[in-house]
Amino acid sequence: MRQKITLTILLFFTFIIGFAQNGSIVGKVQDKETNNDPLPFVNITVKGTSKGTTSDLDGLYQIPDVAPGTYTLIFSFVGYKTQEVENVIVNAGKITNVDVIMTVNAAALDQVVITATTRKVSEAATLLEQKKSKDIVQIIGAEELARKGAGDAAAAVSKISGISRQEGSSNVYVRGLGDRYLNTTFNGLPLPSNDINKKNIELGLFATDVIENISVSKAYSSKQYGDFAAGNVNINSKDYKGKGYVEAFVGTSVNTNAIGEDFVVSEGSGFFGDYARHNQNPFAVILSHGVDPEDVSAPINVNFGISGGKSWDFENGSRLSVFGTASFENGYEYRRGEATDFTTVEKKAFEDAEEFEYSTTTTAMGTVNYKIDDKNKLKFNSLFINSSTNEVGYFGIDGQGRNRDAILNTDEGFYQMNAQFDQNQVYVNQLIGNHKSGKFELDWAAGYNFVLAKQPDRRRISIENYQFAFDNDPTTNPTFFSNVDYDNQRYFQDIDDTEFNGRINLQYEANENFKLNFGYNARSKERNFENIRYGYDIIDSDFAVTDVNNLDAVFNPSNLSLSSGQGIYAIKVINAIPTLSNTNRPGLPENTYTGNLDLFAGYADAEIKSDKWLIVPGIRFESFDQSISYDVINLGNNGNSSASAYENFILPSLNIKYALTEEQNLRLSASRTVSLPEFKETAPFVYIDVTNRIGGNPDLLGSNNPDFINVSDVSYSNVLNFDLKYEWFYGKGEIFSVSAFAKRISDPVNRVVAFDATGTQRYFRTGEEARVYGIEVEFRKNLLQNEDEETLLAAGFNTTLMHTEQDLFDVIQGTYSVNFRNDKDELQGASPIIINADVSYSPTFGSYKPTGNLVFSYFSDRIDALGSGQLGNIIEKAVPTLDFILKNKISDKFEVNFSIRNILNPDIKYVRETSGGDVLVTSTNGKGVSGYDRGRNIGLQLKYKF
Amino acid sequence: MKNRILFGFALLGALLMTSCASDDTADINITDNSDNSVTNNNTTGGSGGTGGQTIFLSGTYTTDLTLDANNTYKINGSLIMASGTTLTIPPCMTIEALAGGADVYVAISQGARIDAQGTADCPIIFTSDASAPAAGDWGGLILLGSAPINSVSGTATSTSEIASLPYGGTNASDNSGTLRYVRVQYSGGSADGQSENNGVSFYGVGNQTTVEYVQVFEGKDDGFEFFGGTVNANFISVVNAQDDSIDWTEGYTGTITNAYVKHGADHDKGIEADGFNTDIGNNSNPIYFSAPTVNNLTIIGLGSANSSEAIRLRAGTRATFNNVSLEGYAEGFDLDGNDTDSPTGAGVTSGETSVTDILFTDITLKVKNDTGVSFTDADLISGDGNGTGTDYATWGAGWTVGN
Repeated sequence: MRQKITLTILLFFTFIIGFAQNGSIVGKVQDKETNNDPLPFVNITVKGTSKGTTSDLDGLYQIPDVAPGTYTLIFSFVGYKTQEVENVIVNAGKITNVDVIMTVNAAALDQVVITATTRKVSEAATLLEQKKSKDIVQIIGAEELARKGAGDAAAAVSKISGISRQEGSSNVYVRGLGDRYLNTTFNGLPLPSNDINKKNIELGLFATDVIENISVSKAYSSKQYGDFAAGNVNINSKDYKGKGYVEAFVGTSVNTNAIGEDFVVSEGSGFFGDYARHNQNPFAVILSHGVDPEDVSAPINVNFGISGGKSWDFENGSRLSVFGTASFENGYEYRRGEATDFTTVEKKAFEDAEEFEYSTTTTAMGTVNYKIDDKNKLKFNSLFINSSTNEVGYFGIDGQGRNRDAILNTDEGFYQMNAQFDQNQVYVNQLIGNHKSGKFELDWAAGYNFVLAKQPDRRRISIENYQFAFDNDPTTNPTFFSNVDYDNQRYFQDIDDTEFNGRINLQYEANENFKLNFGYNARSKERNFENIRYGYDIIDSDFAVTDVNNLDAVFNPSNLSLSSGQGIYAIKVINAIPTLSNTNRPGLPENTYTGNLDLFAGYADAEIKSDKWLIVPGIRFESFDQSISYDVINLGNNGNSSASAYENFILPSLNIKYALTEEQNLRLSASRTVSLPEFKETAPFVYIDVTNRIGGNPDLLGSNNPDFINVSDVSYSNVLNFDLKYEWFYGKGEIFSVSAFAKRISDPVNRVVAFDATGTQRYFRTGEEARVYGIEVEFRKNLLQNEDEETLLAAGFNTTLMHTEQDLFDVIQGTYSVNFRNDKDELQGASPIIINADVSYSPTFGSYKPTGNLVFSYFSDRIDALGSGQLGNIIEKAVPTLDFILKNKISDKFEVNFSIRNILNPDIKYVRETSGGDVLVTSTNGKGVSGYDRGRNIGLQLKYKF
Repeated sequence: MKNRILFGFALLGALLMTSCASDDTADINITDNSDNSVTNNNTTGGSGGTGGQTIFLSGTYTTDLTLDANNTYKINGSLIMASGTTLTIPPCMTIEALAGGADVYVAISQGARIDAQGTADCPIIFTSDASAPAAGDWGGLILLGSAPINSVSGTATSTSEIASLPYGGTNASDNSGTLRYVRVQYSGGSADGQSENNGVSFYGVGNQTTVEYVQVFEGKDDGFEFFGGTVNANFISVVNAQDDSIDWTEGYTGTITNAYVKHGADHDKGIEADGFNTDIGNNSNPIYFSAPTVNNLTIIGLGSANSSEAIRLRAGTRATFNNVSLEGYAEGFDLDGNDTDSPTGAGVTSGETSVTDILFTDITLKVKNDTGVSFTDADLISGDGNGTGTDYATWGAGWTVGN
């Protein structure tokens, strides 16, 4: 190994000094599959030497400084037959030309799926793509995803430097900036969110079998929507081109926490995350079905799937390719910890709480590529995802739960049960085209997205004196806690999102060194929301709950109170149907809203190339129109209203790449972008969570009310971005890079507890500006190679060190008010230190090639929720994660893979900073319990190619 | 291979058959005789109608609203009096509120006033329009002022639990009008999944406001709740409130003189008091806590075996009680707090919280100390056995109900 490093250093010097007496090899690599189109990213090595290179986007390559002699060249590329060209003679001071045409390796085809234009699956190829890109972008391809054992897109992006994931959720932070500063696109078109509280779709919904690669752009370019502050995550869907294959896998795993438990799930949903009562009236559902969770047998996770593709070539030169994949996976997780709501006092505390979670993801995708001829291509892509989580939480299971507002006993015996099922269905349909003519190239795409996010029939039960359930004394029993009618409730929530979007880009290539892009983007989105809740009003507050595990015996229609003084409970609804009672009658939705978002933008950029420079200036004009109309409860005469904002932006950007050498780039990026409010942030209605109330604030759209303090007429944040990056691609699949970044965000938005009588969390523009500074370092190295120059041992490491701060006003007085004791704080969600590292070892034993990977990630303590007034911040404690993945390729057709995830099994904790020290609490961003460990997942997977 | 695939599909099919969710929602017919609160908006009725018309009241009034004794009024939504306006209600009037509707209440905004002056013979009554009214049929009365609250600092305001209206400020002698001989019945309806209206809510109401001879009867939530402010209340009665009968928080510093609380089958505390709003912390500068004076107080529970706590003092509140009678609870006083942000116990040791002259009848434990600060019963209480409570039989005669 040392020899290799020495050699590298030596070579490096050699390269810098240069030897004029050597010769060089140049040539062009073409792809037989695409009628001899240029084939980029082909690895070219000179056998017996350490020399090599990779073909560029035009299929061209150059190996300089080759000592005179006779060599054998090796051309290799994933999915293609490796070609050896012998007897290549290099003469001093001369250039030798070697052109090759690569053909598909049928045997290898089924391991790797190839895209039509650029092949971004292998790690080396994605690094090359990064090297060549105009912007600062990081790409992770299917091969690296598989190797690092990333099961989905969320896990995948968290392997990229500067990106961290929130444990227990799929929230992703890019350089400490969370959801509202990110965008997610699929094949370059916007994706809808599946969660009312989020702007971005949960990346965990994208299983790796639909992903070709994921790229994260941390620097803005004018092709992107202007609402950009931290980054854009783009997922490119898988394609296929080749002779045809079918592959299937089946796997299983167990979670060490879940396996021993008598697992329960919320009643009504199926094994596949389906629910058959969506079309029933909620009132009929609650009359017909009880509240008790149901038992499920052995909590063993399974996954299975099938994928395949085939291409047909037609005589006229056109080709049709299809690719399809369908898969299912589920998971059981058991969490035991505490659940505490602590502000400056303990409001509710369950020192012993448990949660059962059963989750499923079903994914199906179909892609049809039609290459009409060399100049015209069409692609249709359709994706369907059904994801579900079924959570049952029991809080205060030791009989020692406390609620300071309890009625009978504030010292012990408070107990709650929450059983909920969430189902998200996402449909994405896209038609994408590419046309070339002379110096013009036209790219266009149109998409139609539809999302259904439903939370049907969440059940919540509250009980006092639960300790009496254990005392074997039939004369003392728990009773229901029924302070308000909705302490024992059933809740239903429906959201649907519809979006049409499109993009078109015309590129004009004046010459090799000058390109112009003109484009237009549009998206139009509508969201509809409604919810309804029914409460169980307990008639007799002393009613004895004799069996807390059989509440169906209580909440069934025979116990409904139908005449005064009779029965056990009555059903209440907040919004009664006019002329009907609010008791024992179906009702109207509590809250409804319709949100509309329209974005239209035109842009132009130029790519100016010289020998060492690539300069891309761009400008974008964008119009933003957002409106929300709502009909919500508890806002008095302001409950049925609407709000809107309209703005036009001019957004300049500049991206510069300077090639220090063939392998080293210096990049600079500067841009102005904006950050826009979302409807949930401006709609002044309150969403009631299990332990929190969250509401919007119309002041975010700006106000010039003279009585307001620290509220100005501003409806968006200006964001200034600056990035400087040095990158050195010093070997095949190897990189070293350092970057520095800075951002300034004016009028930043934070969610803090507002000063209202109920402590509702609301959104405020909390200060004049926020500043983010940081350094990122990335290093990837091949440590050991075999005689064929295949990497045996490789290691990668990246880290981000950040400093963030934001100004905080002392007082904000607007429609809602708040104050801050500190005049500065860190940015919410920003960890000062983020580390990702991995080591992979792939020895070769004849045809048996196992690959073992150890993958580590870490983020340091960070602010989860900013405190206001006397309330301290909530801190998400640091979490290290270590996974081991063993990919075992037994034969060409058969793979047996093994994994252990979450080896370190750290505690997941949130704490509130208080004057009496840190107190363990739960967070809206986390799970129902805090201070739990997730258990280790041990899995086995069988993969077979037919 | 084909066989294997077929087998796979068969297995999948079997899984699908056995594992899918089923919709076995049945048709359930309930024969419901309880639904007697259905309202008919076209009926005229109630008392007070002398051939006049029935007028529905809701919406935000930006000019004065004076009710005419010849008409019948029915509240069918949020009746909000904007700043600068006055709502005037003549004596003897009964105002019915639509039962079962969300957002049915009367709110007197900051800067607005209510002028509701009944007489002992002819009180003003706010009640449900249901033929068989029940607690929680409608919202209640909400008064908002600009007197100090400790949930914000300086001139900032907070927003109310119901209707999100602003309250609080620096004007201790603010005037929200007059409530005299007023009865609020069957209030406490839910405003959302967590919030209920009280009988009468005082948000930052100032001490030039007159509140006397007011009763809350059969309320679903609290009887009277004071969110900060300096308002004084005399001759108040709470009967059969299902939550706390008298509740204060957010730095309330007024004086309550002659208060009568009687609990029905469903109830919480007689008095539940916080020094500050524990959802958002104590944001006053310098820090202060609720510290009212309560003179002549009677609280009657359902017996020490059935009712838990008569008076609960939390979150640093101070209170001066003079002449108290407590009857029928497991605990007389329960003090909760800590030695940092919620120094309830420190108020006792400093003498800011005290009870002078009290009578405990059927009380198992007189004082429960969960404050983390040690003190003796004698530190809190003097004159045990000397209390007589309020003379409700005299001042409550005639205009109150449910006694």
